[in-house]
Amino acid sequence: MISNFLNSSVWLDVEEWTISWTIGGTNWFPLLESIHVIAAAMVVGSILWVDLRLIGVSAVQYPITTMSRELVPWTWGAFFIASVTGIGMFITRAASHVLNPAFQSKIILLILAGFNMAYFHFKLYKNIAQHDSLATTPTQLKIAGSLSLFLWAGVMLAGRWIGHII
Amino acid sequence: MPDFFVAIGVLINGSFLQTGSLWILTNVPGFPPIIQTIHILGIAVVMGTAVLLNLRLLGLAVPSQNITEMTERTTPFLCFALISNVISGSFFVFGRPARYFNNPVFAWKMLFLTIAILLLVYFIRMHKKTAGYWEQKSEIWTGKTFALISLGLWIMVSLAGRWIAYLEHLQYPIWSF
Repeated sequence: MISNFLNSSVWLDVEEWTISWTIGGTNWFPLLESIHVIAAAMVVGSILWVDLRLIGVSAVQYPITTMSRELVPWTWGAFFIASVTGIGMFITRAASHVLNPAFQSKIILLILAGFNMAYFHFKLYKNIAQHDSLATTPTQLKIAGSLSLFLWAGVMLAGRWIGHII
Repeated sequence: MPDFFVAIGVLINGSFLQTGSLWILTNVPGFPPIIQTIHILGIAVVMGTAVLLNLRLLGLAVPSQNITEMTERTTPFLCFALISNVISGSFFVFGRPARYFNNPVFAWKMLFLTIAILLLVYFIRMHKKTAGYWEQKSEIWTGKTFALISLGLWIMVSLAGRWIAYLEHLQYPIWSF
């Protein structure tokens, strides 16, 4: 089933869209890629402080909720820009990308990062009041923060590797 | 292209710096994408430190974080990232000096980077000299001006970094020493 999905002719159709041709054949591509790199760096740069706070190694004088409230919107904003520009680049070579192991790894790592964030937000965040202002955080939060850093670094590596395979 | 800039490239060309870098780049499996990722992670830290601090000074982000504390906390991370990026970037620059020191986009990147670092040194010096320097009422607008210029410079450094390869792709065959 997954093989049918990855080898589907739909991906070739996507490459034939007018917009795919426009991006792929003009300066739109390098422009999108430049924005993508900056946005991706901002995703990691902003979430970095929330993660370091969760691990308990930096910014411990601020409550976890404050860090999260003031930084996560920047992460989401940057993530949105990175997604739009990423999709813009993806459609120019959709059929090759879906079969590219680096691209596949990147998507899996993104999904894992999403699960980690959802677990933090919907499960751990419920009891956050107990630890909000404490410098030392419980193991669960330390794991969530470390996993986030680890997974995002993985997303970057896989993302950079896409260009070396295609 | 300034002569002294091209001369740096000529100096590196054929030296052990070049042979060493090229050896590592070609013989360590996966080295180019890994070292490039380390370079981009360094840029991510610059975004999370210098750029975020600039956004704070401009009053656009993290209002709860105190400017003095933030400067104190982010500076070590920023220095580490910049040193790491000089090292990770050097492998590529030393490996193919002709491509870099003839490339005007690389020259622009170095210029923006130098100004950004000089501004940063000034910012940190003032911060160290007087406690809470950048929070003083009299310095707020200097701080905001610094932040705006610095923000623009860091974005330009990142953009130029990406465009070094694009310009090279279009023009490289005509460059040589």
